[in-house]
Amino acid sequence: MPHGNGISEGKFVLKKGKLIKVHAVFEDSTIKRIKITGDFFIYPEEIIEDLEKALENIPIEKAYSKIRESMQKCECIGIDPDSLYEAVKNAWMKRS
Amino acid sequence: MELRVIYDTHRRAFENMGIDEAMLIHLKEIGPTLRLYGWNPPAVSIGYFQSMEEEVDVDNARKLGVNLVRRITGGGAVYHKWELTYSIILPEIKGRILDSYKIIERGVVEGLKTLGLEPKMVGINDIAVNGKKISGNAQTRKYGGLLQHGTILMNVDVDEMFSLLKVPDEKLRDKHIQNVKHRVTSLHHLGIDVEFEELQKRIAEGFKYALNANLYEEELSSEVMATAKDLEVNKYATREWNFRR
Repeated sequence: MPHGNGISEGKFVLKKGKLIKVHAVFEDSTIKRIKITGDFFIYPEEIIEDLEKALENIPIEKAYSKIRESMQKCECIGIDPDSLYEAVKNAWMKRS
Repeated sequence: MELRVIYDTHRRAFENMGIDEAMLIHLKEIGPTLRLYGWNPPAVSIGYFQSMEEEVDVDNARKLGVNLVRRITGGGAVYHKWELTYSIILPEIKGRILDSYKIIERGVVEGLKTLGLEPKMVGINDIAVNGKKISGNAQTRKYGGLLQHGTILMNVDVDEMFSLLKVPDEKLRDKHIQNVKHRVTSLHHLGIDVEFEELQKRIAEGFKYALNANLYEEELSSEVMATAKDLEVNKYATREWNFRR
C-alpha cells in the first residue's frame, strides 16, 4: 500500500519469452520515475530513454495510450505495448 | 558480395565492443566485414536494455577479474570465456529485423554443420543443437548499417556462469541453474574439441556459403582502430556507460 505521503514504489517482472522488468516510483496514481530493463530488443534502442521520460508525470490510467504512442515508430522483439503495459500495471498494483 | 574476414585474437571486452562499433561506423569505407574473436580476460556482456546490477554479481566479477561491459545490442547477459564470437557488419537488409537475424545466423548454422552437427535456429535469436542452445545472437542498426554479433560456445561451466550472473528469482536459484544445464550445450559437450583457429575458419566458411560471399582477409585500417580505441576508452571502459541502467 502507498505510504502516507502518497509516494510508493512498485516492481514487476513479466516473462513471456523475454523478460520485461519495470521499476517505478508513483506519487498517488501518477508515475514519477520509471526504469524499464530486460533482455528484449527495441529498434532504435534509444527509444527506451524517450519512453521512460514520456511516462514521467503520467497518471497510471493514461499509461497505456502513452506507451502505444511512444512505441508506434519502433520495431520491437520480445516486448510490445500490451506486455509493457501489463508490467507497468502490475508494478502499480504491487506497489508498497 | 565481397566479405572481408578478420581472424582476430582474444581481446579485452572493452576493446572488442569498441572494434565492433567502430566497424559499423566505418562500414562505408571498409565494406561488409566479418570478425571472429575471443575474450581475454573472461567477461560478462549485458544487453543494451539491461541493468548491470540486476544481472551481474559485480563484486564477484571484480574478485575473479572478469570484465563487465554493456553492448550496443539488446538481448541478455552472456558470460564469455570458452567461446568464439563473431561480429558482422553489412548494409541494412530490407524487411523485418527478425528475418535479417535468420539470414545472418545461417552463417553460424552452416559453419557448425561442417563439424557434423545439425544446428537449428530457435526462438528469437538462438541456435540450438539437439534442442540445446549453443549460440546466442544480437543485432543493432545504426550509422546506415547493421551489426550482428553472436557467440558459439566451445565449452561451458554453468555453475561458474551463475557465480557471476544473477537469476530472475533467488528463491528458485537451484532450479533455474538446473534448467539452464538442460537447455545449454557447447562443442565440448557434443564431443567436439576443435581449436579456436579451426573454428574461426569453419564459421568463416559458413558465412561464405550462407551469404554467397567471396572471402578476403584484410586487417582493419589504423583509422578504424583509432575509432575503436576512442570508443574503448571513452565509452565501453567507463562506468557511465556500463552502469547507465
